[in-house]
Amino acid sequence: MAALTATARPRKLLASRRTRVGILYALPVVVYLLVLFVYPIFGTLFLSLKNADGSLTLHWYVDALTGVNLSVLITTLRISAETALLSLVFGFVLANAISRLKPLWAGLAMLVVVVPHFISALVRTYGWIILLGDKGLVNETLAGLSVPGTPYRLLYNELGVVIGTTSMMLPYTVLLLYGVMRGVDRRLLAAAASMGAGRVTIFRRVYLPLVAPGLASAGLLSFILSLGYYITPALMGGPNQTMIATLINQQVTKENQWNGAAAQGVILLLLTLAGLLLVKLVSSLGASRKKRSAS
Amino acid sequence: MAEFDVVTPSVKVADGTLPTATGKALSVVALRKTYGDVVAVDEASMEIAAGEFVTFLGASGSGKTTTLMMIAGFCEPDSGTITVGGRDMTRLAPQKRGLGFVFQQYLLFPHMTVSENVAFPLTLRGVPKDEIRRRVGETLEIAGLSGFGGRKPRELSGGQQQRVALCRALVYRPPVILMDEPLGALDKKLRDQLQVEIKAIQQELGLTVIYVTHDQEEALVLSDRIAVMRNGLIEQFDTPRELFERPRTPFVADFLGAANFLSGHVEKHTDEHTLVRLDETGGLLKARRHELATGTQIKAAVQPGRLRAGAPGDGFCTGTVETATYVGTLVRAGVRVGSGDVLLRLEVPAGRGPVAGERVGVTADPEDVNLFADERER
Amino acid sequence: MMELRKTVAGRIALTAVATVILLFLALPIVVILVTSFSSNAFSAFPPEVWTLNWYKALFADGSKWPAALSLSALIAALSTVFSLIIAVTAATALTRSELPLRSAVYALVLGPLLIPQIVTALGLFLLFEPAAMLGSPLAIALGHTVLASPIAVLILIATLRGIDERLEDAAASMGAGRMTIARRITFPLAAPGMIAAAVFSFITSFDEFYISQFLSSVGTITLPVQVYNSLTFDIDPSVTAVSAILIAFAVLALALVALVRWLGSGRQNSLLSVENTAGIANPAEETV
Repeated sequence: MAALTATARPRKLLASRRTRVGILYALPVVVYLLVLFVYPIFGTLFLSLKNADGSLTLHWYVDALTGVNLSVLITTLRISAETALLSLVFGFVLANAISRLKPLWAGLAMLVVVVPHFISALVRTYGWIILLGDKGLVNETLAGLSVPGTPYRLLYNELGVVIGTTSMMLPYTVLLLYGVMRGVDRRLLAAAASMGAGRVTIFRRVYLPLVAPGLASAGLLSFILSLGYYITPALMGGPNQTMIATLINQQVTKENQWNGAAAQGVILLLLTLAGLLLVKLVSSLGASRKKRSAS
Repeated sequence: MAEFDVVTPSVKVADGTLPTATGKALSVVALRKTYGDVVAVDEASMEIAAGEFVTFLGASGSGKTTTLMMIAGFCEPDSGTITVGGRDMTRLAPQKRGLGFVFQQYLLFPHMTVSENVAFPLTLRGVPKDEIRRRVGETLEIAGLSGFGGRKPRELSGGQQQRVALCRALVYRPPVILMDEPLGALDKKLRDQLQVEIKAIQQELGLTVIYVTHDQEEALVLSDRIAVMRNGLIEQFDTPRELFERPRTPFVADFLGAANFLSGHVEKHTDEHTLVRLDETGGLLKARRHELATGTQIKAAVQPGRLRAGAPGDGFCTGTVETATYVGTLVRAGVRVGSGDVLLRLEVPAGRGPVAGERVGVTADPEDVNLFADERER
Repeated sequence: MMELRKTVAGRIALTAVATVILLFLALPIVVILVTSFSSNAFSAFPPEVWTLNWYKALFADGSKWPAALSLSALIAALSTVFSLIIAVTAATALTRSELPLRSAVYALVLGPLLIPQIVTALGLFLLFEPAAMLGSPLAIALGHTVLASPIAVLILIATLRGIDERLEDAAASMGAGRMTIARRITFPLAAPGMIAAAVFSFITSFDEFYISQFLSSVGTITLPVQVYNSLTFDIDPSVTAVSAILIAFAVLALALVALVRWLGSGRQNSLLSVENTAGIANPAEETV
């Protein structure tokens, strides 16, 4: 017994050396993000709950959820939902097409998806402004084709904003869905066909259920990412397309209304966290389904 | 290869790089390792002489790899000691042991050429450049890899990669080279070829090698001595011949020779023989003298190749040949004996082989019969 | 649906729709590149007269662009350095050690990528404002590192996971010490990942807008903030040329990453394969 305790010690020491190295190396990132990420978020939270005299209050939240601010919140949710839906549909079609293309073409198509992803949203938004103006390429082309009613008003309204944000979210959904589609076992589809299922039936009864969890997460993610979007709505929208991030920005840079901005920031944060929770739920649902089908 | 000098590594490896005068290269005493409740290695002890080729043979989970990893320093024993060249290495980090290691997955450095890979351990030891070039060239030549020095590992076949890994482990002449199933990822033909090469190099350079495998044939071809391991225990550590002819446990008899087992009890002893009354057939089996008390319940083990088929009534039992399969130089026969529960497997030279349906008497040389006291189920 | 036969009509329809969507992604970028050489910098496409005037105007006397460009480059360089230091240590901790609360650390690293940037920016504003650090390039760089370091960490985690840890064991068995292993084995093998991490950290900081805007002062206006101001307040036609330069810069950076990845992978796939192009976008695919 004595020998046992004596020999157990060096082993523990070795294990703790690996642990010590781990803690030491994890320290920079943890400290950095605690100080410059977590702490400021808590700072925001406290500020959103504080009166001018320092007492606790909820009235910044009441402000944020009434009147104009409420309609801004609703606009934010609406535009985000529209964006998520459109980028999901387009993303699905494009990812599906890429997964069926010949390797060279698929590579090139993916390049067209990936490159914009890394170009500043500001720059791409500016590109849309040039394209969608009254004398922009789109209206000129439509006029050239003698489409009645040109020029269409494509900017500084909800249509413009949704076009812009959708093109920002599209690379995400394409990349996510492409990954999901590559994970689908194609032999299942062939198996369904061998049993006499038609093209539509295979799509609806086999393919769609297989990719559904991926679709749901991709849609939710682009919804979440749209919620905090600011550049595109601010530049391509009109006064009716003010989103919550724009409002936060205005209150900080123009009105010095930090408490209100903090309350709206916390609301945005909570919406995001709720969305992330849903994503997690959906993906664990998908995982358990996969497990069941595998066993 | 007498030009090879002993390298004094820049990392602190004792001057015990060469086996000591006693010829003892490595000794392991009461090595034990547990993972939770599972005993991976249980009180393993052995001494290995310089220039010896030793194999740890066992199925997966037998503890052979864990033992090797503890000798290498990749895994720390709970208790026991490891001594190399008289120096205690039990708690030393792997880089301070100065041993050589050949991994199953080759683990060549992908960003280095073949020459750079082989030179790597020498550069660590501060060997002069000219010397490095000369020794890398020589070592590659031994392994038949001259002209491959400039290639990257991924441009080589699996067999070539493993030869490079071997070169890399022996270029600095470590006192002991450890090999963890180095041929496990190769196909049968290449494996056979490399076994011969490894053995030849080991003998030419007088290397001390500890080799891990689950392949009995490989172990028999390569080894001076084999440690047969099971459930963390060394069942027997002996020369291939001893293991084959004098297995100390039924497991060893079965694992190496696929022995026939017959149960019975010791009836009496003569000066040179022990006579066993067999349970199933009632026959009397003569074995060489074993120190077992009269009446002891035993298992008798005989290798298929050591049984002979004679006329009915000959030997310790008579039965009917059920199958007789011609496999080249041998005929493998199955003989049903006793009340029909026991099928003896025989391997007899082709030509004089029995045919199916024939009645034969089965005989065995008493020297080839091993008896084990039947304590448990077997 | 590889194993199902394709109909000709279906194929044409699919190709057409895919092309339209790809145009939707590419057009805003192409239009900027073309317009930047047009005499009318704001609309009129295709240009009637080609010109380099907008590029020349960038460097004219009194132009705000050179200052904004060098400020952004300085900040991006700083946050690249910060991010790499954080990422190398963090990725080592997460892949090569026994770390208590590993998943908590991992979640903390993912946090800045998932939380709306405006919230992070607001928090940083509230942190730096009382410290009178608004307008400090260092503060902006520290802020950008919050967004850039997680990306670098994920890239390096994927990189280190891709390097067989037993190669390090093999080196140790030959007598290599910890430092030697890091210098001669791990670092050379991780170099492509390090370059990718550096490039993405730099781009992230260089293009970052929210934090820059909140932390900027009159004297410290980064390039994206200047672009935004030009688009909203003082219409400056040179913004098209700046945008085109930003596009070219991003493309070059991506090309560098793609090349390094391709060389590092031993040129397994073709340079333009989907694996390669999609891999650039998601360099940490194994971990996310």
